Formats: sequence, C-alpha cells, structure tokens
Amino acid sequence: MAEATKRVTDIGPPHYEKFLPEIIKKNYGTWKYHEVLKPGVMVHVGESGDKLFTVRAAGARLMSIYRIREIADLADKYSGGHLRFTSRHNIEFLLTDSANIEPLIAGLKEIGHPIGGIGNSISSIVHTQGWIHCHSAATDASGVVKAVMDEVFPHFEKMDLPGKLRIALACCLNMCGAVHCSDIAILGVHTRPPKTDFATVNKVCEIPNVVASCPTAAIRPVTADGNRTVEVIEEQCMFCANCFTVCPAMPMNDPDTDGISIWVGGKVSNARTEPQFSKLAIPFLPNNPPRWPEVTSAVSNLVELWAANARPFERMGEWIDRITWPRFFKMAGLEFHPEHIDDFKHAGLTYKRSMHLVR
Amino acid sequence: MAELPATPLLDDLEKGPWPSFVTEIKNAALHKDSCKDLLGQLERSYREKIGHWKHGGIVGVLGYGGGVIGRYSDLPKEFPGIAHFHTLRINQPSGWFYTSKALRDICDLWEEHGSGLTNMHGSTGDIILLGTTTDELEPTFKALTDVGFDIGGSGSDVRTPSCCVGPARCEWACYDTLKVCYQLTMDYQDEIHRPMFPYKFKFKMSGCPNDCVASIARSDMSIIGTWRDDIQQDDAAVKEYADKGLNIQRDVVGNCPGQCMEWDGEKLTIDNDLCRRCMHCINAMPKALAPGKDRGATILLGSKAPIVEGALLSSVLIPFLKIDNEEDFKDLQALVEEIWEVWGEEGKNRERVGEFIQRVGMANFLEAIGLEPVAEMVAHPRENPYVFYNQGDDEEEDK
Amino acid sequence: MSDEVSVEEVADAMYKQIADAQGLKKLKPGDVTKMMRELYGDRVDKKLCKLAIRILIESERCVYTYFGGSYIELPPKEGEEK
Repeated sequence: MAEATKRVTDIGPPHYEKFLPEIIKKNYGTWKYHEVLKPGVMVHVGESGDKLFTVRAAGARLMSIYRIREIADLADKYSGGHLRFTSRHNIEFLLTDSANIEPLIAGLKEIGHPIGGIGNSISSIVHTQGWIHCHSAATDASGVVKAVMDEVFPHFEKMDLPGKLRIALACCLNMCGAVHCSDIAILGVHTRPPKTDFATVNKVCEIPNVVASCPTAAIRPVTADGNRTVEVIEEQCMFCANCFTVCPAMPMNDPDTDGISIWVGGKVSNARTEPQFSKLAIPFLPNNPPRWPEVTSAVSNLVELWAANARPFERMGEWIDRITWPRFFKMAGLEFHPEHIDDFKHAGLTYKRSMHLVR
Repeated sequence: MAELPATPLLDDLEKGPWPSFVTEIKNAALHKDSCKDLLGQLERSYREKIGHWKHGGIVGVLGYGGGVIGRYSDLPKEFPGIAHFHTLRINQPSGWFYTSKALRDICDLWEEHGSGLTNMHGSTGDIILLGTTTDELEPTFKALTDVGFDIGGSGSDVRTPSCCVGPARCEWACYDTLKVCYQLTMDYQDEIHRPMFPYKFKFKMSGCPNDCVASIARSDMSIIGTWRDDIQQDDAAVKEYADKGLNIQRDVVGNCPGQCMEWDGEKLTIDNDLCRRCMHCINAMPKALAPGKDRGATILLGSKAPIVEGALLSSVLIPFLKIDNEEDFKDLQALVEEIWEVWGEEGKNRERVGEFIQRVGMANFLEAIGLEPVAEMVAHPRENPYVFYNQGDDEEEDK
Repeated sequence: MSDEVSVEEVADAMYKQIADAQGLKKLKPGDVTKMMRELYGDRVDKKLCKLAIRILIESERCVYTYFGGSYIELPPKEGEEK
C-alpha cells in the first residue's frame, strides 16, 4: 500500500498554541507588568488581574533524556505540565498557583538545578559544542562553561550586580554561539597556520574554493611534485580556520597552541546605549582542562571589577566607555599587546582620534 | 553492563553547584554504549587538549539538504560506539514553549533511535538530538513526524527561525513574535529543508528593543518590535518607584540617550518626539511605563559572526512596519523574497547577505530590491566626498 | 515560452552537468539553475529548476553535500572520507 508508507515531510514545528497554558492563552498580548519577586522568580500580571509565576532554573544545555523526564515530572507536579526554555538554555516553569513555587524550587534543588538568572545577575552562558561534538573546536565548550559558572555562581543565585551581565562562549571563530556582542565573550582561538596536507588537498577539496575561503588572500594555488595544491603565506594568516571549514586537508587544531581569548563590553540590547561588539581584553589563555583555571580567574576578575565600579544599570561596555579603555586595562591589571590593535578592515576607525585621554 | 570508562579529568566537572554535563553523559552511558564511548573520547580530548571528530560528512534524510550534521569519530577503532554520531536539528516550537508530554515524546523517540543526549537548545534555537548512526536517521525522522515535529535547517538554507517569548508572557512585545516566527517557518519549509542560497539565511524575531534573542547580532533579517506613539505612563506608579528608593534623576533620566526626560521630584515629563525607544526607562520602571499603543517592528538586515569577511550587526532597512494582519505579513514576505532574489542571483559562494551589501554598496542594493533610501538607514551620512553621482538618464529620455 | 521543456529533461541536463563537474567543481543549486537558464533560456524558470533538483534528490541520483556551504553532488559511499 503505497499510500500507507508515504513519507511525511515539510510539516514544520508543532503550532505553539498547543503548548501554551490556559492563563497565557487568556492573557496573550494583554500582560500589564511584571515584577521580580526574588532571585529566579518573577510574576507577570495581566490586564485581567491574572498572575503568572515564572521559576527560572539553570540548565546544562547538554541534557540527557533521563534528566528531561525528571524536569517534565516536576512540570506535571507543579506547573500543570507547562514549561519553556529561554534563549540562554534556562528552564522556566510557568505556574498559576504561587503555593507551588517553594515546593518546585525544593524539587529542582533535589535534582541539582539551582534557580536564578533573572534581573541584575549572571544568566546561563550561551555556548557551542566544543570537543563533545565539533571538528573545528579550538577548546571545549561545556567544560569551560561549567567551570566558569561554578566560579561566578553566587551572581546567578543573587541579584547583587549593578546591571545585567551576559557571558557567551564559542569554541572557534565560526561562532555558532555568535558571542561577539556579549559583556564577556570567551572565544576559542587557533594561533598557528593550517598544517596543509599538500598531497591530498587536490583530492579532497577544490582548490579555487580553498583559495577563495581566505579573507586575507593568504592562500595561493601552487604545483608541487606535479600535484596541484595550495600553499599558505604564513605571515598573512590570522588563523581564522575558514580554509579548514571548506577543506579537511587544512587542519588547524593543535593541543599546544590552541587556546582561549577573552572579549568584553558587547551588548545586543538597545537600552541606554546602542548594541555593540565585544572588544579584545585578553588575547590568549591556555587550554587547561578540566577546569581552565586561567580562564575562570580572568572572567571572575572582570566580573568583580565591573561589579565594584559600575553605576546602577551600567553594562560592562558602558562602564568601560565611561572610564575609557586605558583605565580599564590599568584597573584590570591587563597588559596591552600588539594583538589588541585591529589590523583587519576598517581598523583605522578603532584608533584613538581625539585628546580625550584620562590620567 | 553499566561499566563506565575511567574519566578522572571529567569527574572533576561533576563537582560544584552548576548542573554538570558530565553527569548527563554518564546517566546516558548507563543505558547507551555510544555514550560510554563518548565519555571515553572526551576524556581523551581533555587529556590531549584536542578534539577527536572528523571533518563533516554527507548524511541526511531523503529529500532534505539540511538539519542533519554528519559526525564521525577520528578514533573509530577505540570508540566504535561513536564511529557514526550524527546530530539532528529539530525545529523548536515558537518561544520554546512545551508541555511535559511533548518533551516526553521527544525523549521516547530519542531513547529508541539515538544516544539519549540532547541540547536544549542549540545556538540557532533548534532542539539538538546529539548522536546517532546513519541507519537510524530515517527512523528518527519518521518518529519525529509521527509526534508532530520536523527537522530544522543547516547549510546554505533558511535556518530555523527563532523568537523571544513575545506576547505570550511579555508586556513589552510590540508585535506577535511567536506568530510571525511560526508563519515564516511554515511558509518557508522548502527553503529550510532544501538549500538553494549562496549561504545561510537567519531570521530572528524580538518583540522589543531589548532584543532577547540577539536578533541584531545574529540574524540576517532582524525583526525587532518598536512603537511610534508616546510611551504609556502611569504617574502614580512612577512616584511609587521614587518612594521605594529608585533614583529617578540619576538612574532613569540620567541614562536617557535622547535626554528627553525631566523629573521634578513629583512628575516625570517625557518629550516623546526625541524618545529613541531604547527601553531603558521602561525596563527600570515596568509598572509605571510601557511602550506606546501604536506598535510594529523595525526590519534590519545583515548581521553575522566573523566568518568570512568579519562580523556585522544588522542595519535598518524599514524603520517601522506594522505586522498585525495578513496584508502586513505579505508586505514583509514580498520584501524577504525580493532580497533573496537579488542576493540569490548575485551573491558569491558563502557570502552572507550582509557581506553582499558591503560588497555592492547599500545604495545599489536598495535600488535592486526597489526600496527608497531614508535617513534612518544610516548612523550618519557619508563623510567621504568620492561620490558616485547619479548622472541621470538624459540619453534614454531622448529616445 | 516557446516549446516547453519538461522537468524530467531539465533534471537530466542538470544531472549531466553535476556528473561532469564531479571532483572538479562543487556546484550549488544556484549554479545549476544558472546553467539551465544558459542552456534553455527563458524556456525554464527558477521554479522549474527547483522542481528538477527535487526530482534528482528524491530519486537519490544526487545528494546535497556540505563543505562550509551546501552543494549538489553524486552520492558518495557512506563514511567515505572526502
């Protein structure tokens, strides 16, 4: 029976309405205001007077189905089976009965999911796959995130910061996590040119594609031992790994020279100041699993420095813009290196072109 | 047999207050041999400081060109359970809302067909089913469609659109992000599943300028809610914030980018003509202030991460667009399809639409998609006097 | 449109181009569409080309591949290292 075995395709995701609790259907588009009741708990109040309580719990992003079932059990018990996830891998339970808040929090604690991440706190770290599942990772993702979150954890559980702080991690410049507009961005980097496998380039890749992949025109076609292949002008390579993305014969990964760079001061929100990119603070820290102590201490120092000095609402980048970058480097105890000065497109726009310099 | 490999380095990441991914993999490894090998290989990566996955791979479900990421271990003899360990991206529901049943459906099918490991969620927004073999791809896909889910995008296609919580639970949502996200996803199923562009194309919908899905930084088309009338203001509630200790002069008025507010200790006055709709005052006093009632969205274009030609933020294309009804939605789609037509025809291999605009020039791009330039599109007019003056079409007119 | 081209004919012509290019140049769906327009002029449009690609893929004569971007190629052997 051909009809019975017909493949179903292109059905798209389920309609979201199927998953909305009654209270949301009723108050859809007519919410009046919200209040943060305590760390990890907020209430949304509708024009109707209805109250929807949200409990936000930390998620690990990488979760087993056994964990998800436990989370589903808690939702059944306390939120009528209704829950959602946030863009930062948090889990949010949607409650109508405020009496369920504390038992839910206790239940979450029991299975190891603390609550927090709302308001002036550090929320979960948006991140990528790393060594768990990616071929181009210059560092692990989940491990660094776990280590950093353990370190800055008090700021997840408490709302004790001047404003919001968003950390993101990408394990290479492909930036699946698009971390480039974060208060603190942790970015895996390569620092050496590809180790071109001259003999196989022509077999596994198309040379024009490989040549075209290089943003600095550092790759040129050559003939070696009668083989068409490519060579990399190493002085021109800035280790982006784009050639590796299009061609497996240009491997970049290296245990000794891969590592992590730290970028600060980006934001996507339009509040007060316009969205901006993160800027380089620390060009290189080594990969030091399992806990990346150099990275966790660098991030923690930056967080504490900002927390101690920023004004209310001021994000990392707004604070640095106010105090200026030289002062930031001084206060953070960071050395300024040649790597901090841009030399790609429009680099001139990042030079200091005024007399506005602080002591 | 639940013998787990020795993982002294990873074990350290089971300590501490943050939920541990290692515990998750170990839980799955009690049921799945593939996860045992994943633990083993990951421990080795931790020891050697290098990943052990091969480059790419050509796998998928029949008919689709996206949504499945082929993944092979480079140590298949030592870790046969992950010799093939492919990922599926599953199109999430708008706003990431679920019922416990929907989650259990996914868990059950992934227990049967895969590793039992997931990401909730991947960076683009999909549910990520992490790790299965080639011969399980079709059965997984069948099981997914049986429970009403479908695969998302990857490669040079429309990537799975995503949106913020929107009007479902936010008083600031200036348009229905969930609906627009769902509608675009459904209308562009073909473009999601069958790559036909020079490179990827992402949509992200944020309901207000707080931009909770980072639309302006990570989507080719950013649709961000805004309003064009006056901020709604409840003076008594403003006073209440002041009485409770909010320093309105310093922390609200002093932070206004348009310097369009005054506070006399009793009443807040906003010059709405100069309001930049940044959201700061509304964020600071959610019970007292709210976006206006004439709501819509700004359409911005072109953001992306660094690869290939450098990172970009999206820039304004349409300063204000209503997206309330079918007609409005058709206007939006007409714009999208015009952009695809031009970029699809002229874009170079692996050139995102933002890079394409940088290459051909915004003015030329606008002309190609038939949009008039307006001052809102630029941070400021050009500074450089090398102008391609329009030399008119005198000759043509003579004919 | 003058005499019509059938979608099967376009699919066959596409297949030939893809087979000829195999190992020399990776073709994107957009590339083969442009080739068909060069070949058949305004007797084919994008819609027809899309349909032809779908026929090639669903009959498994061709597959989508991914190397930084998406391409259409002849099917490789499973697990074969490219």
